[in-house]
Amino acid sequence: MKLKPIATLIGATLALGAALAAGAAGAPPALGPLPPPPIPKDNPMSAEKIELGKMLFWDNRLGGDASSPCVVCHEPGKGWGDGGEISRGYPGTQHWRNSQTVLNSAHYGRLFWEGSVPSLEMQAPSAAEGNVAGNGDPSLMEMRMRFIPEYVTRFKKVFGTDWPHIWDAYRAIAAFERTLVSDAKQVPFDRFMKGDKKALSDSAKRGMAVYKGKAGCIQCHNGPLASDQGYYSLGVPENEVFKTEPLYQITHRWEHYQKGVMEKDYRNADKDLGLYYISNHPKDVGKFRTPSLRELKYTAPFMHNGIFYTLDEVVDFYNKGGGDANWPNKSKLLKPLGLTDREKKDLVAFLESLSMDQPLLMDPPKLPPYAVMK
Amino acid sequence: MKPRIIRRSVLGALAVASLSAGAALAADLQPLPDPKFNAKMAELGRHFFFDVRMSGDAALSCASCHDPAKGWGDGMALAKGYPASESFRNAPTLINATLKSRYLWDGRLEGGDAGTMSRDMITEANFMNMDGRLLQERIKQVPEYVALWETFKKNDDPNGMRVFNMIGEFMKTIRSKNVPFDKFKKGDESAMSAQAKAGYEVFKGKGNCVSCHNGPVGSDGNLHRTGVPENPHVIDDPQHGPLRHITMLRHYSTSGMPNYMAARTDVGFYAISKDKRDIGKFNTPSIRDLKYTAPYMHNGMFATLDQVIDFYDKGGSAGSELKPLGLTADEKGALKAFLLEGMSGDPVTVEIPKMPAYQARAFGKN
Repeated sequence: MKLKPIATLIGATLALGAALAAGAAGAPPALGPLPPPPIPKDNPMSAEKIELGKMLFWDNRLGGDASSPCVVCHEPGKGWGDGGEISRGYPGTQHWRNSQTVLNSAHYGRLFWEGSVPSLEMQAPSAAEGNVAGNGDPSLMEMRMRFIPEYVTRFKKVFGTDWPHIWDAYRAIAAFERTLVSDAKQVPFDRFMKGDKKALSDSAKRGMAVYKGKAGCIQCHNGPLASDQGYYSLGVPENEVFKTEPLYQITHRWEHYQKGVMEKDYRNADKDLGLYYISNHPKDVGKFRTPSLRELKYTAPFMHNGIFYTLDEVVDFYNKGGGDANWPNKSKLLKPLGLTDREKKDLVAFLESLSMDQPLLMDPPKLPPYAVMK
Repeated sequence: MKPRIIRRSVLGALAVASLSAGAALAADLQPLPDPKFNAKMAELGRHFFFDVRMSGDAALSCASCHDPAKGWGDGMALAKGYPASESFRNAPTLINATLKSRYLWDGRLEGGDAGTMSRDMITEANFMNMDGRLLQERIKQVPEYVALWETFKKNDDPNGMRVFNMIGEFMKTIRSKNVPFDKFKKGDESAMSAQAKAGYEVFKGKGNCVSCHNGPVGSDGNLHRTGVPENPHVIDDPQHGPLRHITMLRHYSTSGMPNYMAARTDVGFYAISKDKRDIGKFNTPSIRDLKYTAPYMHNGMFATLDQVIDFYDKGGSAGSELKPLGLTADEKGALKAFLLEGMSGDPVTVEIPKMPAYQARAFGKN
């Protein structure tokens, strides 16, 4: 929880910029240990803010019926996701996408599978207030916090306001989430890159070569995060639940309706259109943001709709050149790879070396009670 | 739309005419007019009214707080509301509710648009906390509802405000039944007991109840300060802590009331009007079917009509618009008989529909 000196942060930002520039020139940005995450100027970190954010992350009073705090779909013991193919969603509803891990989310420039928001500060309200997620009313959640004396004291100390404000709650949660990052000392690949040649097995080392070479994973999964944060259509098959399960169908239509697509897109909605919802450009249909490949050991199932339970399945999918050739906007980067069984195994061994030896677990905080306001 | 506007303005002119006539005539209770509603819409609304999927987490239906078996209220002093919230006011009966010229305890909605009232309750965070767009998609997942909807128009989507209007239309059907007073008023002298008739005289005369409780539902549709004591459970409930206070301050905050964090009493209409003269004013409730709708007042502070009558007899509390009445025990008894026997009819019941299940649809054919 110690804060990094500001100079380090600036250094890290410059390094990241340099890496991006290098990437534009030719070879993809190199994999490597993660720098400290960028901290937005308008939400500086402090120990008190992080502690408050942790409490709010667990506090079920942030949500509609007190059953849907952040932690319910982002459980430490489930890799900070919810372990399901598609997130459980709010009671009486179903979500429609896989609950992504919070781990290292501080490194993304945009959040959610189609990059719909530009910061963790903006992700938190979408989740807490979204009708198939937290379904909380912001003014009601704000008033609830004002009746929790310990929060009143803590918000005043951290944000200087007489009463807690909902946007400050989201800032505190974002600050807490910026502490949920891989610890390089625990990641075999990071130890390897820092000179511990024994940190990777021979299989993982061979897998790294496949990753960068024959399999071409590095084309998109590059840089310290192992994500270029770009958007691609892979033809990942739709999850079958949408064809048979009423609650999923309700949410599928609702998402199209509330995202404001054209009527024909709502009428014919039979897939997740991804980035198209944000850009309204036909070239973006079916595109999703490249996820980080760090901490995969703890974050199955995979893909935006949780369709693959194991890394073997994921590797097989790419080995076949991705999904249906006629999928809208399918990326030209995907081609049958012709990997041998040993290459596939090696690749999986390498991917697993991008995860910490032990999962990042955390005890729940003690939540302060409501009190009568005199 | 056009004919409706014209009709409205004609009605408006008539209303003005009747108001000026009313100034000359003494206000009185009147029999209920015959209900007017669209039967097909009301039928669909009946299904929606009892369907728990109308609330965010599918835990509550309209009937949870407006239960036909509890006089279309919930029988409690203060309504419960959505899980993890508690309400700070009484759940009013829905019997004859659509006839009122002003809706809700603080009168924040004009009467005449029951659909809007139903929308406000369904989408309000501390009542049913439902997103209207999600609601329409839930309805589309129930083949029986789609079939009923399509009796209006083929291939039409259940959506938007029209969903709430169905419930509003159903509410128009919730009307007093077989009320002795209505028969009496239409000439049947034997419809009310002698005591109830005496009570009617007190109601109109010495009690002067009629000055506010008049017209068909027994409400002038106006806001008055009677000084009903605060319900202490709003601020501090031994079981639920400050949950009601939270709801109250949040209501004031979203109403744009100044200095809402300081509120420790229910300010009523002031939160809406922001005029200090309106502090503590509440919408005159109907006095029909009181037999079924205890406890009484905006915060359920009175469990019995005796308490209510005693309260008015004393002229309410400090700051009240009321004056002490000096009623005798007989007069009080007569008044109570009039209200309980004369103004209350048969229990208002309805057949509670079965909730049809969601069914899978052809994916991609919406």
